[in-house]
Amino acid sequence: MSVSPDGSVAGMIAQLKSIAEKALADLAQASTLESLDEFRVAVLGKKGSFSEVLKGLGGIPASDRPAIGAAANDWKRKLEEALDARKSELEEKRLASQLESERIDISLPSRQPPAGALHPITQTTRKIIQVFSRLGFDVTTGPEIETEFLTFEAVNIPKDHPARDMQDTFFAGPGVVLRTHTSPVQMRAMREKGEWPVRILSPGAVYRCDDDATHSPMFHQIEGLWVDHGVKMSHLKGVLEFFAREIFGSDSKIRLRPSYFPFVEPGAEVDVSCFNCSGRGDDGCRVCRGSGWLEILGAGMVHPRLFEMAGFDKKSGYAGLTGFAFGLGVERIAMLLHRISDLRLMYQGDLRFLSQFRA
Amino acid sequence: MKISWNWLSEMVDLGSVGGPKGLAELLTRRGLEVEAIESQDAGLAKVVTGRILEKGQHPQADRLSLCKVTLGTGEPLEIVCGAQNHKSGDVVVVAQIGAHLPNGLKIAAGKIRGVVSNGMLCSESELGLKEESEGILILPQDTPLGLPIAEILGRTDHLLTLKITPNRADCLSHWGIAREVAAALEKKPSRPEPKLAWDPSKQDANPRTGLEAGELGPQFFGARIEGVRIGPSPEWMVKRLEAVGARSINNVVDSTNLVMFELGQPVHAYDAALLSGHLLVIREARAGEQLPLLDGTTVTLSGTELVIADDAKAVALAGVMGGGNSEVSDSTSAVFLEVAQFDPSLVRKASSRHQKKTEASHRFERGVDAQGLEFAMRRLADLVLETAGGKIVGMSTVRKPAVQPRKISIDSGYCANFLGMPVQAAEVEQVLRSLGCELEPRAGGWNVIPPSFRLDLAIPEDLAEEIARCVGFERIPSEVPTLTDMPTSQAGDARFNARAWIDGAKDRLVGMGFHETVNFSFTSTKWLKELGLASTVKVMNPLSEEHEWMVPSLLPGLLANVLHNTRHRFGSESQPIRICEIRPTFHATGEVAAVGEDQTGVEEKWRLSFVMSGPRFAQALRNEEGEVDFFDGKAIFERLMDSMGARGMRLQPLSASRGGNALAHLVHPGQAAEVLAGNQVAGVIGMIHPKFARAWKLRAPLFMAELDFDALVKMARGAGEARKFSGWPEFPGMERDFALLVKKEVGAEKLAVIALKAGKPLAKVAKIFDVYRGPQVGEGMTSIAVRVIFGDDTRSLQEAETEEVSKKIVEAWRKEAGAELRG
Repeated sequence: MSVSPDGSVAGMIAQLKSIAEKALADLAQASTLESLDEFRVAVLGKKGSFSEVLKGLGGIPASDRPAIGAAANDWKRKLEEALDARKSELEEKRLASQLESERIDISLPSRQPPAGALHPITQTTRKIIQVFSRLGFDVTTGPEIETEFLTFEAVNIPKDHPARDMQDTFFAGPGVVLRTHTSPVQMRAMREKGEWPVRILSPGAVYRCDDDATHSPMFHQIEGLWVDHGVKMSHLKGVLEFFAREIFGSDSKIRLRPSYFPFVEPGAEVDVSCFNCSGRGDDGCRVCRGSGWLEILGAGMVHPRLFEMAGFDKKSGYAGLTGFAFGLGVERIAMLLHRISDLRLMYQGDLRFLSQFRA
Repeated sequence: MKISWNWLSEMVDLGSVGGPKGLAELLTRRGLEVEAIESQDAGLAKVVTGRILEKGQHPQADRLSLCKVTLGTGEPLEIVCGAQNHKSGDVVVVAQIGAHLPNGLKIAAGKIRGVVSNGMLCSESELGLKEESEGILILPQDTPLGLPIAEILGRTDHLLTLKITPNRADCLSHWGIAREVAAALEKKPSRPEPKLAWDPSKQDANPRTGLEAGELGPQFFGARIEGVRIGPSPEWMVKRLEAVGARSINNVVDSTNLVMFELGQPVHAYDAALLSGHLLVIREARAGEQLPLLDGTTVTLSGTELVIADDAKAVALAGVMGGGNSEVSDSTSAVFLEVAQFDPSLVRKASSRHQKKTEASHRFERGVDAQGLEFAMRRLADLVLETAGGKIVGMSTVRKPAVQPRKISIDSGYCANFLGMPVQAAEVEQVLRSLGCELEPRAGGWNVIPPSFRLDLAIPEDLAEEIARCVGFERIPSEVPTLTDMPTSQAGDARFNARAWIDGAKDRLVGMGFHETVNFSFTSTKWLKELGLASTVKVMNPLSEEHEWMVPSLLPGLLANVLHNTRHRFGSESQPIRICEIRPTFHATGEVAAVGEDQTGVEEKWRLSFVMSGPRFAQALRNEEGEVDFFDGKAIFERLMDSMGARGMRLQPLSASRGGNALAHLVHPGQAAEVLAGNQVAGVIGMIHPKFARAWKLRAPLFMAELDFDALVKMARGAGEARKFSGWPEFPGMERDFALLVKKEVGAEKLAVIALKAGKPLAKVAKIFDVYRGPQVGEGMTSIAVRVIFGDDTRSLQEAETEEVSKKIVEAWRKEAGAELRG
């Protein structure tokens, strides 16, 4: 490339100007980052048109050089600014097109690992244990196949007593039964501790020869026992009222109706006010069927015979010992809380049922 | 038990009780739960008497009549009738528009074959009087018109069904309930006072009564009545019995039943001509003795029962049922009446041994009023004389000396204190007296003597209950008890730890997508057989074949769950099935029988089991799916072990099992592992054996696992134990990858184990990251790629060091696993 047509200072400046102006005008034609790079090299690179002009500086008197240098720098700065601006413009464009090409349909189904759930019986059991734990009850468990002695005799249900009819019993061998309630666990716990106070909760599976829409040959119970000097029936009522409020809602009320269970005296059936119609007993209430009350458990003051069977030492003062006990059916409460209509659903292992109780 | 409102109201004034509903509430409040109230006039509203003024022909139908019926007053009604048995002038039963008959029929105005009918003329079956009837009911000519039919038929009673708890033997009669109601209403109850004076000294009965069973049969009253005429009972008696659900038989038998329902004392009548000898006794049965009963069956006695016997034979199973050999029949002309008392538990034993549950045994096994026998006998004799005629020709009484009445000593403040209820001494006194107790005042309290019929009152707590139920449980306030010692420590308690891990393991499994199930502990012979399993604990009285055995494993239940879920689903899509259970299984090595007070011979072993099948994801696009295989299941196992900190739990190929794994046959021998806890076999995991998959037509691979939960808990860290922070390597590790060629029988994990051992202490991690089998490595060989990461906790390693250790490792691989480095 020739230096300048006339080798003059003005000519050289004009030449630089012309190259720069053309370059600025052509810049828009570089439509990709790659072509922009090429363009930059073609103009500003070592062998670029701009540099070629400046190679002619050698023929210019030294006194004129600063003027040309200043002009060249000025144009070069302008060019570089323009190139940079174009570059970020192109970069932005490229990003935009990348983003566009990476667009996904967020409405497609997610990749979901299987979800599980605790059985409603377990969920309800835990809830109930939590409530009583706050009052100081400990949990104890025991065997599901028990001796007839601990299941009945020890809790004041003698052989050949009509009270045996209250619980139809499965037998597994002579003197061996599938426990009909978790009372033998409490008896074992009292015998083991051998002294009071006793505050225990015994949850677990129990069995009765019964199979219809509202009875299952296996079901779950939680029994509670509080034995100490000075325990009164009013304490039983307070504890059960607290339980009812925690499980069924803070405005729940309880009602005790006299009843009979051989291991307690007095004995009571306990109802809780219907949480669905707030105990009003609304005609159409599907939960309480209009009675306003739900029968949820049996309770009473521990029959003193049990202290004797527990082997408590009379001499150390069990004469004035009292206690209260209660027993509730877990399924019954789970059915109320989850609005489960059919008891049998509990034991079928049907995922259509189980999956509805995910926490 | 059914209680008749009308009968009861003859014994106690029910005017203030608020009708049957109010009575039911009162009884329930006092612990006598009323389960149902039925009114005899139910369905008979708007059903009245009327007279047919004119019987005409229906203009459109030959077989229908059109009757003009008057109800005594007002305009006569035109009623279409399909019956044939009526004529003009008959008094009939008219169901008016709006009636809703006992058989469910609702009467509405409507046209029958084009003619308006303003009601219906009723048959007996439509009125619920009979199962079937022909034609409409025609009443006597002198029946007043326009009266409710319930009144005409005497169906005005209300029946309360009571659920009497076993302790309240005294309430198994109308008199018992009357006493209770009277106490509540502060009224005096009354009952028919028998006219007969009881005086055995006048003339001995023939036979005389005797006691040969001691205290087991302590009282026996007998009376002989001659010249009776057996026949139907008077209407009032039939009605009364039918109201409470008993069938009328004849005047003598009905009299005995009436006494039982009235007074609660079961009694019996024999045909005196069929009794032999001069003595009738209560004695223990002889083993093998045969006794024909009233229900037509004959029982062979075991010797533990009580019988009533004459000098030749047993004539009744005492307390349960009379004998068929001495039954009162139409030809009976002399009856012998029995009123006795028997040991309740013997009656119960006899009734359950021979499976005869009767109204009598129900009452005797709960206990009768020892002071009530004479009254019952007088009432019975009265009724027999009244309904069957005849003359009493002898009376006999034998009884053991009366047992001293119980005395219960309570302090005057006892009830208030025990119940936590403000109740004054005066009120306690009043309540106890209202129930028939006698109170002997003593310093600071009373000696309470309960009435003879209250067999359930024996200890102070019983009296407290009487106070609570009589003044009302609602008067007991709610209080919170206070702790008098520290809650039991759970730290370090093995049983608490096991329970906590049950919850912990369930939570972890749920977190990994499992649904917890609760299966019955029962299983069937058939299902066990199909699975090749055996149970050692049998239910002696199962409800059905499905419930014959206690489960030896949780897998029978879980596999049934899988089958259930593959068969019951919405749509045909395969869905992930992940189900788990932690429950006991039942095992016996010897006989299942009680030993001492607390041993059963049954061992309960807790198991943790899970099954998984179907897609890996609950939801994903088709190309991302994939069905679970052994390694998905193994991952669940490992995650569970890791989260429980169960060190020492290992897997070994089933082929290495030393046998005795009861579940091994359920799994694919090449895709399963035996679980070891230390050196103890602790379960099995693996894919189901293809023979089951084929038999059940399973569409997806099925993984299952059953672990000995107790063994697992032993290996785990404490459930409440905090995990300890242990820092991390400060210096970067150096990695080396090795490609090894081994025989395919060599388990890959072995290579990692060898590497860690031979590379100690610098080899920190060794993992398998690729496996290849195929033509390039030759038949019977596997290429396994192992990555080893070396490091030192105190410094950075030099290249040469790892080089040296690597050589050692390679050498160990060669020696111990026959592995060669691939070139």
